[in-house]
Amino acid sequence: MAEADNLLVAAKVRKEFGGLVATDNVDFTIPRGAIVSLIGPNGAGKTTFFNQLTGVYKPTSGSILFDGTEVSFLPPHSITKLGIGRTFQNIRLFSQMTALENVLVGMHSRMHAGILGAIVRPPKVKREEAASRDKARELLTYCGLPRRHEERSASLPYGDQRRLEVARALATDPKLLLLDEPTAGMNPQETAEFTSFVGKVRDEKNVTVLLIEHDMKVVMGVSERITVLEYGAKIAEGTPAEIRSNERVIEAYLGKGATE
Amino acid sequence: MTSIADRARGIASGRRERWLAPLLIVLGVLYPWYEDTLQSLPVIGDFVPSTESMVVMVAFTMMALGLNIVVGYAGLLDLGYVAFYAVGAYTAGWFASQQFDQITFHFLSSVPNTQPGIHVTMWLVLIAAGLLTLLAGIIIGLPTLRLRGDYLAIVTLGFGEIVPQVVNNGDDIGGFDLTHGTFGIAPIDSVGFPVLSFTGLPDNFQTSPDRAMWFYIVALGLLLITVFCTVRLRDSRLGRAWIAIREDETAAAAMGVPLMRTKTWSYALGAFFGGVAGAYYASFKGGAFPADFYFNISVFLLCMVILGGMGSVWGVLAGGMILAYLNIEGLSTIGSKIQDAGLNFDPTKYQFGIYGIIIVSMMLLRPAGLIPERRHRIEMEEGVHDTPFYDVEHEGTLTDRDLSGD
Amino acid sequence: MGTTATSVLRTLRSPKVVNGLGFAFVAVIVLWLAVNFVKDPTYFANVGLDGLTRGTIYGVVALGYTLVYGILQLINFAHGDVFALSGLVASTIMLSVLNISPSSSNAAVAGAVVVTLLITVPLFAVANGTIERVAYRPLRNAPRLAPLITAVGMSFIVFNISLALYGVDYESGSELIPQGTALSIGDIRITWKLVIALAIIVPTLTALSWFVSSTRQGKAMRAVAQDTEASAMMGIDVNRTISVTFFLAGSLAAVAGLVFFLEYQVRFDSGFQLGLIAFTAAVLGGIGNLTGAVLGALLIGFIQSFSEGLTWYGPGSAWTRSIVFAILIATLVFRPEGLLGERTPEGA
Repeated sequence: MAEADNLLVAAKVRKEFGGLVATDNVDFTIPRGAIVSLIGPNGAGKTTFFNQLTGVYKPTSGSILFDGTEVSFLPPHSITKLGIGRTFQNIRLFSQMTALENVLVGMHSRMHAGILGAIVRPPKVKREEAASRDKARELLTYCGLPRRHEERSASLPYGDQRRLEVARALATDPKLLLLDEPTAGMNPQETAEFTSFVGKVRDEKNVTVLLIEHDMKVVMGVSERITVLEYGAKIAEGTPAEIRSNERVIEAYLGKGATE
Repeated sequence: MTSIADRARGIASGRRERWLAPLLIVLGVLYPWYEDTLQSLPVIGDFVPSTESMVVMVAFTMMALGLNIVVGYAGLLDLGYVAFYAVGAYTAGWFASQQFDQITFHFLSSVPNTQPGIHVTMWLVLIAAGLLTLLAGIIIGLPTLRLRGDYLAIVTLGFGEIVPQVVNNGDDIGGFDLTHGTFGIAPIDSVGFPVLSFTGLPDNFQTSPDRAMWFYIVALGLLLITVFCTVRLRDSRLGRAWIAIREDETAAAAMGVPLMRTKTWSYALGAFFGGVAGAYYASFKGGAFPADFYFNISVFLLCMVILGGMGSVWGVLAGGMILAYLNIEGLSTIGSKIQDAGLNFDPTKYQFGIYGIIIVSMMLLRPAGLIPERRHRIEMEEGVHDTPFYDVEHEGTLTDRDLSGD
Repeated sequence: MGTTATSVLRTLRSPKVVNGLGFAFVAVIVLWLAVNFVKDPTYFANVGLDGLTRGTIYGVVALGYTLVYGILQLINFAHGDVFALSGLVASTIMLSVLNISPSSSNAAVAGAVVVTLLITVPLFAVANGTIERVAYRPLRNAPRLAPLITAVGMSFIVFNISLALYGVDYESGSELIPQGTALSIGDIRITWKLVIALAIIVPTLTALSWFVSSTRQGKAMRAVAQDTEASAMMGIDVNRTISVTFFLAGSLAAVAGLVFFLEYQVRFDSGFQLGLIAFTAAVLGGIGNLTGAVLGALLIGFIQSFSEGLTWYGPGSAWTRSIVFAILIATLVFRPEGLLGERTPEGA
């Protein structure tokens, strides 16, 4: 049997904040082209783990291999350039920039214009700007924002802001897309739309997806594999069916009494 | 048909009429010719600045535009900008004066070939000054731009103090006279067109009968180039990166913006224009003197940016010209008017307080400035996500480690 | 350019290299001090005592900075200028109002000092609190750049008030206090300056320490400094606590101003130089840490005195500012938590 082609291989990742162990020797792999989810009760360390994947935190120990490259010590922008894009749990759009400008910032690492290019604006730079703008508009439309590109992002409705975050993350041209609680605050209809959107993005944009989610409908509906964290440690991993019936997981969410 | 009020509001809120810029440029260039007419007007005539003053005003406004790149675009509080002004001025002192009389090297200079020292044509010296100052900006920036905003402010203030002290004591660096100490470097060669003197253009502005006019026209040209560059930068990939950093560093980094590099470039480019302006002004004054460089200048420039509007080119132009005018002529003119009216009050003594009041009032009442940049107006009023990305957090403060008990 | 430079910096900034360089640097300094000491031990001691005198004054000012920073994360640029103004006002009270002159008796001078403090301490406590109320509080929720810029503006305003009221003259009370040596141990001279400084400052620091550790308001200050939101939820009046902090800082400035007037000389711009020195001291000791502020101030006092006073390869007073700033920059770049602070990682 051929070895799975894993896009991300995290081995024995550990993060300590002073005396607190936020990530407890977690092993985690993401097969290329998969949609996997990371779940766990509040405080389980999901976002902390995410932050280590994206370089916001440096792991205390352990290794993170992305597409064969060790990234655990790299700064965030380098990791983004290598191909990990992300959204944030609490929306962190550039609120005073327009939707289009937000997406253009996402393209920063894929564009090349420098200082002289900015000042002189030779045809090459003008072409790059124009092409980037076109691509940005396409992405916005693809993510469900066909209009309002020139509108200040802070004035967009909540659901659109979430979509904009995804568009901006996709603008970084990622191989791996990390979505941190993307459906928080969405109503059931938006959530259902988003769930099918995740699959579409994986198929059409050729990205691998890692999701942190609390909404079990989304998790069960879209994931091919689920990993469960509790107190920073991995307690279970498997298909949605397996996780749904895993006693340890139920205990973690509902407390010891639930399985008795 | 828009009313004048609408037009004015339009300008203040960001829709600049297309004719405004060319009109102002033309008015600006022709200033030396109608200056006398303006000055003979009743009442306001005394307040019209001389062409000489205009040169100084333009030079400082250019520096303010440079500072605007750092403070306005990238959102980094730089309290040591005067250091860049000094580096620029002394570069002029090194390459266009008799300071290094150990060598005699001339290159397209307007100065007679027999004069000792390095005398390169000022046009190249301006560029060299810009580049050297840019380098200084990078050197200063690389280790310090990692710091959070308030520490960065203090550290830049520190550099702004160290450079003048070095300059003041630089007449004996291991026996070598680098900066001629408290005496400064003078005379510094003038700007001129020695190569083009056959066309009738003066080969040396200082010796030309229309000295002030020539210096002013060229200064205006440099200012226009600065405006052009800053606008282009603002509307570019780099400009967007700066604004993203200003708003939310962590998100910017996550989107692939390299924080240190981008911040350093803002610093370096801001320094570049400061250096050019400093060198040009030194040539105009004919010297570079340590007494010219002190902390208050950095705050003075900051005041221009805040008054005009952080990140707003029109704003900084306005703020710069207004404050520089007050500084060089305005306050003393107002002072003499007040004296004529019988009151014994000298506003020039209250300069710093005035700048302080301007800064505090603007921050409290209209933080986005007189002519706000579109985004900043909203940002200052609604707040942003500005926890710095690189942040060594201090474990509590006033901890019980300090004092016994409890 | 970017990546090689940043990776070079990263290696340079690694703990091993930093500690190594730090040790080497300290070793050089210790060697320099040792040579100077050996050459003339009593002179060395006297220079050191001079440093102690300065250091205690710097400490009081540094505490003002660190108190405010600890609670608001704001560098109150105006603090140094408040200090200078308070020294000038103290000079007016002592010289013009109370008519103290070099010929006045020591008892009269001492009494005058007490009366002056009774006036300037509350006056500048309230003034400092007013500055906070008017200029900083409205900007509590603005982007961080805003109150910082405002503090710079405020500094200029206070600076100009001093200039307008007192001009460019120095006011010095050094002729009012007993001159010269109070006590000699061999050739080591414990000057009256040192005695008086300690006599005024040590009680002040004790009072402050008691206040912060034992009173409810002091505990509130520590709580707000550690976690503003939680404190508010516990029912602590955050606004009032911040005001009290500024009152304290203003009081400290007034005490320091008086002592500085008595021992050296005050002028409208004394605040700038001394303010930066004191702030460096606060950072060196660990910003937000009270003991650290005093420790840092003593260190800087010694550094300044040794640097200006020692004769074997001593830099001299022309380089003092640069040296102090170099210390500030080095601390912030290599060890931003200061000597007594604790480096915590990126925050849980």
